[in-house]
Amino acid sequence: MSTVAAAPAPGDALLQASGVSIRFGGLKALTDFNLTVRQGDLLGLIGPNGAGKSTAFNVLTGVYQPTEGEVRVAGQRVNGWVPHQINHLGLARTFQNIRLFRALTALDNVKVACRAQGGLHPVRLGPMAKAATAMRNYRDWWRALLLTPGFQAEERELTRQAEHLLEVMGLSHRRDEEAKNLPYGEQRRLEIARALGTRPKVLLLDEPAAGMNTREKADLMVLIRRLRDEFSLGVLVIEHDMKLVMGICERITVLDHGETIARGAPAEVRSDRKVIEAYLGDSYLESHGGAA
Amino acid sequence: MAAPGVTTLTDVDAGRVPPALRGILPVLIALPVLALAEVLLGASPFATYLLSVVGVNIILAVSLNIVNGMTGQFSIGHAGFMAVGAYIAGVTSLSLKEVALSFLPVAASDQVLFTVALLAGGTCAALCGFLVGLPSLRLRGDYLAIVTLGFGEIIRVVVQNTEAFGRALGLSGIPQYSSVAMVYFWVFLVVLVARRIAGSSHGRSLWAIREDEVAAEAMGVDTTGYKVRAFVISSFFAGIAGGLFAHFVPIINPGSFTFVKSMEIVVMVVLGGLGSTTGAIVAAIFLTLLPEGLRSLFGALGAEGSLAQKVDQIRMPVYGLLLVVLMLARPQGLFGTKELWDVLPRWLPRKKKGLT
Repeated sequence: MSTVAAAPAPGDALLQASGVSIRFGGLKALTDFNLTVRQGDLLGLIGPNGAGKSTAFNVLTGVYQPTEGEVRVAGQRVNGWVPHQINHLGLARTFQNIRLFRALTALDNVKVACRAQGGLHPVRLGPMAKAATAMRNYRDWWRALLLTPGFQAEERELTRQAEHLLEVMGLSHRRDEEAKNLPYGEQRRLEIARALGTRPKVLLLDEPAAGMNTREKADLMVLIRRLRDEFSLGVLVIEHDMKLVMGICERITVLDHGETIARGAPAEVRSDRKVIEAYLGDSYLESHGGAA
Repeated sequence: MAAPGVTTLTDVDAGRVPPALRGILPVLIALPVLALAEVLLGASPFATYLLSVVGVNIILAVSLNIVNGMTGQFSIGHAGFMAVGAYIAGVTSLSLKEVALSFLPVAASDQVLFTVALLAGGTCAALCGFLVGLPSLRLRGDYLAIVTLGFGEIIRVVVQNTEAFGRALGLSGIPQYSSVAMVYFWVFLVVLVARRIAGSSHGRSLWAIREDEVAAEAMGVDTTGYKVRAFVISSFFAGIAGGLFAHFVPIINPGSFTFVKSMEIVVMVVLGGLGSTTGAIVAAIFLTLLPEGLRSLFGALGAEGSLAQKVDQIRMPVYGLLLVVLMLARPQGLFGTKELWDVLPRWLPRKKKGLT
């Protein structure tokens, strides 16, 4: 019957995966995965291709259901929840292969996300609260159809919020451009702006630097840090680019074949023999004469 | 430049109208215009009939566009919902035939009863839409097409075997309450609803589902909920269209609501451009008047009556050909997702963009 969990105190886990495993038939995509994200954290999740990084993201965001273990968002157990409900608890993500609403303008892309957080969608509620939310939902459609002054004010507010986010991400000049016409780097930034529109507590970035040049990557590192501070987020980054991960993440979890093979500060992880073997390959070990 | 969600919320100039009035202003403008049209057209039964058919098709196309165009789902059983509306409204009117509201003049009383019948038909269709949509819209992909196809056939078979609906013979003797003004009031209403949805945050969520359902869900959009609501609204107006239809044709039978009729509506939406309300309107007008035009043309060329009647038979092949040509030459439809005012030549006045 309890609705949205009370605002967590600083230091509380905003996102917690404990002992999460996923099996697809006989394939163990993820085994005993543990992770805790707190406000202000900047964590990295790395591993070679097929290590289960994206699977981990998908189980955290509710696309997959864990076979074992549990996921908690803002203290709430979310096993069995669908993605939009988990999103309402404060978990937003970007996608490895950019998934913008291509035919919508940059502004509308962000507004979709801002809107969905209007507090109008039920998270998991009891029957009474559910009925009340349904009523509110229908009232909301009528407000849109009758174009009430309150509705118009709400629309203006949404536009304002979305414009602010575009500005933060340096996309104001693309406001009315269709998302598909934006250059690659700007599409990546727009995806982050859209994720921020849902007012997340934790932001999951799936390979944000993929396809970027060195210069853009450097800018991105600065940007991610800034967003964490400005929006008081916990950030979890999946990334292939070792330099980027080592450069910004304070703690790193390394996956290989669905198993966590190492975790810790970048320096520790970098010198971990298992990590080097799995991620950087034996040849790296040979040419560098073993672990530092 | 003309992305679907950017165009203005209303059909009136947003800048100069006080906010409180903007909600109902289009209605205030439409009513006298419709009354005038009714007075001018009152004399010609053929014009009245043709305009009514065009109007019903516009309602069907615009309402289907909310699901097939804006939300990107594929429903191919719209005639089924139209049938539900037609039969429920027809039966309601038949059973209320002897009733008259004593405190109103007869004509007004008839129109009130007509409205009741229409709303009954629309509500039943919406209910069917909910029952059909809830299970099938939970799934992604083409399930909706299969389920709606089945639904349309089920309705037809049910009607054919129900005594109260006149079985295969159809339902006759429904009071002819309908008028051009009434039909076009509903045309106006469905267009207003479609445009306001398109320009509102609900519409943006629908567009988002059409563009990328996974991303929409991840951004907190309750995709199933939105799809079901769009489907219910669409079904409601299909039911209304059926109800109107039942009140100006002499007889309704299951043959009026076959799969062919559903496809006709789909063709209108695709021809106009999936997601374009004005496109659906233009296509509906064009495809309704085309057979009439051809019929008159054959008549004028001195063809026999039987040849003119063949126009109806060659209609579907012509539609098919039209679709093939369209898919090859302009796969996004006439207008794509744009509206009429977005594709007008530059020197014509354009609508102002954006709400704020």
